Amino acid sequence: MDDISAEDARQALRAVDEERRHVIAEIDLPRWYWWGLAAAWVLLGMAADLGNVWLTSGSTLVFGAAHAAVAQHVFSGRHKSSRLSVRASVAGRHIPAILFGCLLLLTLATIAVGFAVDADGAEHASTIAAGFAATAILCGGPTLMAAIRRRVARNAA
Amino acid sequence: MTAAPRFDELIHPSTRLSIVALLASADWIDFAFVRDRLGLSDSALSKQFATLEGAGYLSIERPVEDRRRRVRVRLTPAGRTAFEGHVAALRAVIDVETP
Repeated sequence: MDDISAEDARQALRAVDEERRHVIAEIDLPRWYWWGLAAAWVLLGMAADLGNVWLTSGSTLVFGAAHAAVAQHVFSGRHKSSRLSVRASVAGRHIPAILFGCLLLLTLATIAVGFAVDADGAEHASTIAAGFAATAILCGGPTLMAAIRRRVARNAA
Repeated sequence: MTAAPRFDELIHPSTRLSIVALLASADWIDFAFVRDRLGLSDSALSKQFATLEGAGYLSIERPVEDRRRRVRVRLTPAGRTAFEGHVAALRAVIDVETP
């Protein structure tokens, strides 16, 4: 160890940090999750516009159950692909809570937009509101995960 | 990392340090990911893995997924301890030389 200079040690630590960042860059949700969520959101909106309470309730329950099953596997952000599993201590524990919080906000926003569009006299208010939400999911989801990765990288530094 | 500083000659060479650093941030990593990341040939990477596996620092698994045989590599607890000790030792070198 005596022949290791401070510069050698710094260089080695930089290499360690670089590899850690490469693993952090893998923190994400699979792309299919965002597309599936957006599609399901629009389908729920269309079902609501049909005005059948049983269809709306049933499809909401199916969506909730299916989403809960999927979220268990993907919401940690540690399994974007089958190429690696990010260590829990690296990804942190907050990702599922952040994602659930955003989904809750999106649900409330969809309802609010739906009421606003309906008050404006437009037909298919639920579908239109769900379309807005789907766009927010497809654009905002990956952006949110990029922000989370930046935060994780900052904390790891 | 709060491991006791312990310089590890086996981990320190740059390729092995990169491999172990990658594995330290993951539960497991696919062989192909490490190969692509470090730009090594299959045989060169296999040699490095064999050295680290021989020291008890990593374990290699071969699960079958979607009818494809994969090779997954993970650090053992001994490998993780050695890596954390090595990083602590590198930090200690910097602390001593730049008080």
